[in-house]
Amino acid sequence: MSVHERLRRLLFLVPYVSSRQGITVEELARALNVSREHLLEDLDLLTCVGRPPFNPDDYIDIYVENDRVYVDLDQRLSAPPRLTVGEASALAAAAELLRPAAGDTLRGAVEKLERVLPPGAGARFREMYRKIDAALEAPEALGPLTQAIHGRCEVTFDYAAPGRGAPEPRRVRPLELLSHRGQWYLQAFCLTREDERLFRVDRMGALSLTTTLFQPREGARAEVPNPARRDADVRVLFTPLVAPYVRERFGEDARLLADGSVEVRVAGDNERWLTQWVLSFGGEAEVLEPASARAAVARAAKAALGV
Amino acid sequence: MDRTERLLDLVALFLDAREPISWAELRDHFPQDYRGTSDDAAERKFERDKAELLELGFPLTYIQGDDERKDGYIVDRDAYYLPEVDLTKEELAVLYAAGSAALTSGAFPGRDDLSHALRKIGFFAGDALPTPRVRMELGVEQDGPRLAAYLEQLWSACAARKWVQMTYGSPKRLDLSERRVEPYGLALRRGIWTLVGYCHLRQGIRTFHVHRIRTLKVNSSRPRTPDFEVPANFSADDYVASYPWQHRFHERVEARLRLTGELAPRAASLFPGAHVTPAPEGQGMLVTLPVTFLDGLLRFCLQLGPDCHVEAPDKAREDVAAMARRILEKHGEKPASSEVPT
Repeated sequence: MSVHERLRRLLFLVPYVSSRQGITVEELARALNVSREHLLEDLDLLTCVGRPPFNPDDYIDIYVENDRVYVDLDQRLSAPPRLTVGEASALAAAAELLRPAAGDTLRGAVEKLERVLPPGAGARFREMYRKIDAALEAPEALGPLTQAIHGRCEVTFDYAAPGRGAPEPRRVRPLELLSHRGQWYLQAFCLTREDERLFRVDRMGALSLTTTLFQPREGARAEVPNPARRDADVRVLFTPLVAPYVRERFGEDARLLADGSVEVRVAGDNERWLTQWVLSFGGEAEVLEPASARAAVARAAKAALGV
Repeated sequence: MDRTERLLDLVALFLDAREPISWAELRDHFPQDYRGTSDDAAERKFERDKAELLELGFPLTYIQGDDERKDGYIVDRDAYYLPEVDLTKEELAVLYAAGSAALTSGAFPGRDDLSHALRKIGFFAGDALPTPRVRMELGVEQDGPRLAAYLEQLWSACAARKWVQMTYGSPKRLDLSERRVEPYGLALRRGIWTLVGYCHLRQGIRTFHVHRIRTLKVNSSRPRTPDFEVPANFSADDYVASYPWQHRFHERVEARLRLTGELAPRAASLFPGAHVTPAPEGQGMLVTLPVTFLDGLLRFCLQLGPDCHVEAPDKAREDVAAMARRILEKHGEKPASSEVPT
């Protein structure tokens, strides 16, 4: 922990406790993202801080009583410092992750961030936050879905599941949004299917928030399954041309062969996904087994040729 | 005295001061720190402390005195304290959702800055902090901790405009290359972080996947003096591809696709930025788009299935058919390979 980092934390800590007198040590440690031990060390240090001539009333008076923290004398550390250019830039760049879902709201928020920078830092801020370009092409639906998760209200939409023809109406309890490799997913309890499902946000249409509220279960967490599994039943062989990229993605799950090609075992429970994935390598990937998966890829290749 | 303690004492002293504090007074206030050594050494020590305070956003300035005031250091209290940010509930929710998600992703540049920023904007929100459940998995899973550390270093280097020395491994080459790069910016596309900057080896602006950097060192000499200027018209988006057909490998060509069946209504979302029009006689949707990596487009089209028809240019139609034939040949009747692993 550098001096700089610790100072930033301490200059926030005193006003934070001042405005939340009696906050528990645990809550304070969580808010500052430090361990209890580090926090207690910080509090010890702060009791030695004051201003010359260092008379008793010149020191910060901060103490723990019954595991709660209080400040009696804050020595004018009554509010945190303004945002630094680095802090505002990092936050504005992160907020770009939700553009365009939060377009107008985002614009307003970034303008306000700029207003609370130190005087004269605006130009530097605008230059800095463009150094991170995190345009994830967040779909428009992200805005209302975030609102629905926050407000715990059920939503309805038409879902275009691949291979099912026309979109089907769904009613779900939205739990969590997840961005994985640039693709957005919604983890939700689907009332139509009476099961927890993962929906791709870009396949939703006619999204609408209802007024029906629900209580989410604890610990709901979206998981995008990793297709590579050592015990999986589908073996896929990649040519030496694409092998380095496959190894980069799958690491030790990609088995290097003598001629420079690699083999990966993947789950075959979603034939459509597997077929699309193999096709996306444009002839540089081959399903070795099982025969049914090979046949599915062959059928897809024939369809592409119009055979 | 511990340096952290001394710096906090200085903050308390300046925040309470009603008039400028001279260097002589500072030395009297902190005799152990600014007196025990030579005048030069003491001044250098205070300069370092002052630089640290300025970096924290502490608006300390030196003013020349006049008839009204003496010379000395003074702080503008109004410029120090964070005012109410005055965010609406929605604005706070967006910043919190994105900021927290970026922070917990484990792979976002400026994580320390980000966590301090989130605390500060939440300072006046009391217990009304939103906790929307948004999560992002960024970067390449294989390189979690290293990727996070490199992003942090690159963020600092971008901010301070310091060149970096790195060892880079591209999957296209067996050997590693040593590069000196002036980092202009970082871009995130489909979960992959890319560094864009001027490469001294290639004498031009190049892109580097951050997860392919093997070693990284930021130029540590004269840390407060920038090493380079970023071109005024620079935009990372001009160099980083968002989609496979946008990699700048070849001359730009215009491709035309026709989407039918269940793909037709999704044309615009599948090919963002492309020109989308209804095809004649209700034959789906026509998609026209600029392409600088044709193979990337064709593989994507194959993946979409038979409802994606490649119509132009002729080379694209021939190539996509050749790809499909090759896939078909590979998946004909033949036993599974039984090569011996290395």
